Amino acid sequence: MSNSLVLAPAPRSEAAEQVRAEVREFLADELAAGTFSTHVDTWLSGVDPAFSRKLGERGWLGMTWPKKYGGHERSAMERYAVTEELLAAGAPVAAHWIADRQSGPNLLTYGTEKQRQEILPRIVAGECYFVIGMSEPDSGSDLASIRTKAVRNGDGDWVVNGAKVWTSNAHESHYGIVLVRTSPSDSANRHAGMSQLLIDLSLPGITVNPIRILDGGHHFNEVVFEDVVVPGDMLLGEEGNGWHQVTAELAFERSGPERFLSTYPLLAEFGRRVVDSGDPAQLTVLGRLSARVLALRQMSLRIAAALDRGELPNIPAALVKDVGTTFEADVIEEVRRVADVMPSLDSPDPLGRALAEAQLHQPGFTLRGGTNEILRGIVARGLGLR
Amino acid sequence: MATDQDLVVETVRDILSGHEPFVLTPARRWDEGLWSALASAGLTGVGLPEEAGGSGGDLADAVAIVRTLASGAAAVPVAEQLLVAGPAVIAAGLTLPPVEEPLTFGIADTVTATPSGDGWTLTGTAADVSWAAVAAHVALLVTGPDGAALALLPTSGLDASDGYNLAGEPRSSLTLAETPAAVAPLNDAQARELRAGFALARAVQLSAALEQVLAWTVQYAGERHQFGRPLGKFQAIQMELAEMAGEVVAVTALTDAAVQALAHGSADVALAAAAAKVRAGAAVEVVARLAHQVHGAIGFTQEHKLHHLTRRLWSWRDEAGSELVWSRVLASGLLADGPDGLWPALTRVV
Repeated sequence: MSNSLVLAPAPRSEAAEQVRAEVREFLADELAAGTFSTHVDTWLSGVDPAFSRKLGERGWLGMTWPKKYGGHERSAMERYAVTEELLAAGAPVAAHWIADRQSGPNLLTYGTEKQRQEILPRIVAGECYFVIGMSEPDSGSDLASIRTKAVRNGDGDWVVNGAKVWTSNAHESHYGIVLVRTSPSDSANRHAGMSQLLIDLSLPGITVNPIRILDGGHHFNEVVFEDVVVPGDMLLGEEGNGWHQVTAELAFERSGPERFLSTYPLLAEFGRRVVDSGDPAQLTVLGRLSARVLALRQMSLRIAAALDRGELPNIPAALVKDVGTTFEADVIEEVRRVADVMPSLDSPDPLGRALAEAQLHQPGFTLRGGTNEILRGIVARGLGLR
Repeated sequence: MATDQDLVVETVRDILSGHEPFVLTPARRWDEGLWSALASAGLTGVGLPEEAGGSGGDLADAVAIVRTLASGAAAVPVAEQLLVAGPAVIAAGLTLPPVEEPLTFGIADTVTATPSGDGWTLTGTAADVSWAAVAAHVALLVTGPDGAALALLPTSGLDASDGYNLAGEPRSSLTLAETPAAVAPLNDAQARELRAGFALARAVQLSAALEQVLAWTVQYAGERHQFGRPLGKFQAIQMELAEMAGEVVAVTALTDAAVQALAHGSADVALAAAAAKVRAGAAVEVVARLAHQVHGAIGFTQEHKLHHLTRRLWSWRDEAGSELVWSRVLASGLLADGPDGLWPALTRVV
């Protein structure tokens, strides 16, 4: 098979297993204390700043970052174990998720020393949250067609106009890393002329409008920029290098366990049902779904190990996300096929509640972070077809 | 034997290049010439210790050989010999037959082993035993007086039925009536791991064959032109090939991890193997279907090479325990510590 798709197996990490045990104990205590309850897809919907700060106190945010920015200089494999445990428990991790996963690493690569000093320690503490400013009302999968524009004014500052959409939890966040056009689009080179700006979401001229998802939940927003003056030194990386920088984020954005564990709490409830029923058909389905989880873990772990080697495996990450998000949705139908359960958010049956939460969030799984059609196009490139 | 896997793989490829896959028929049930070439090169004893009569080398070498032969649709019982029967015979303390002679393996719970004089005899029917019609010796997982046992016997003179899997590989029923055999008792864990080892061997073969089918299909999509461009330039075809790739990468990642679990002597190797077999079997439907769809009618012909692997995929997924069997074993094992043990088990198995 094409080498661009295949990564070396991940070595077993004792350090990761140690921190996994610590996180597991912490989560059991928190659940027992009632600080949170388990839900599906909590990395989108579970905003809880107090919980994020607790994780920060434990040293479980910014885990791989340098100590001089408050980080803990641990491996991507250790971070993988922590994030995986949090997701499996359905813990409320949405507040800090984007900042910890990709905005911080982006600042480490492209930020100025001042930006790193000011912002990274606050992310590590679980106090500073980020949004991704990529999609726009007229630019979804075709990201290079964005129109949000930043123009230098006489003081050397950027004046930003435009709108970003699907910005998860912008109403609870502090900064956005926003992809803007800094030169007019060029049909000969569609990827040129874009830059990333680090934008404080409290600046004058920014309006955050809720976009409710189909169950009424407020996670997404439209963020409108009207003559927003962004200080000149908030350019992230190089002017005109935005497309390359966005692409470099994708290995972080697309490869983590949140791309196959969003519905794990449903699978866990189903496991309880199987123990109670002893039904062989249910047991079979649990086995088949578990085999898929085990394969996805190995795929995702290989990417964490590649990140530890300093690689940015974008094509394998796209593949993992395609396979993983397909699985997240399949859990719903597989469970329904063998368990007689009514999905309802107010069901007395925890399986019915988990099924309801999973069903109502399911359309998002294969859209967010790049649709599966776009991802398969990237995989096709990895196969040498493009 | 060199332990350099690249060298091993290169040697096997060189040998394979002189033995194109052929349509198996009752008149030509296996590739005897290929077996002889592999045996002469010492490759039919890799991964088995020299002191037991093997060629040395480790599990990874043996797996590399099995993978290479599986992707070449080689009609020889090397997976059974190197990954299942050979290690099992040695572990049970029986005498390994000469590795130049094919040794195969079968699960035969309904066959009973009974002490007889200084030795043992076997009675019952061993169904669907791979390659029994062409192998010199067969190792069987049977039922002894105190539980599971491993039996080893020569195939000459045995009553073996004419049976074949979907690829034409011989799969015989052996009718045994007080047939003499060497027998060693196995404890429950040994028997469980032997079943799992057989499943893992098939998973390894499936994994390699799935990769090869993807590679053939990608190559064909690049060569075949319709509407003035290669098939692979059509988005509809790209989506199908990407879906195939997702399945193949998933199977490879899990199968590799299960082989690692075996190499490290993990206590969870049986569950790891079960998971690998289930995942590999599940991938067959997608990969074989889409490979045939992309190849079009030519891939449906006997003339085209594709069926050498797709027919094996459709057979191997149900051999050594189907997804149905292994998914139940896997789920029961993962729930062994109760409902809250599911997640800890998932993170422990591989």
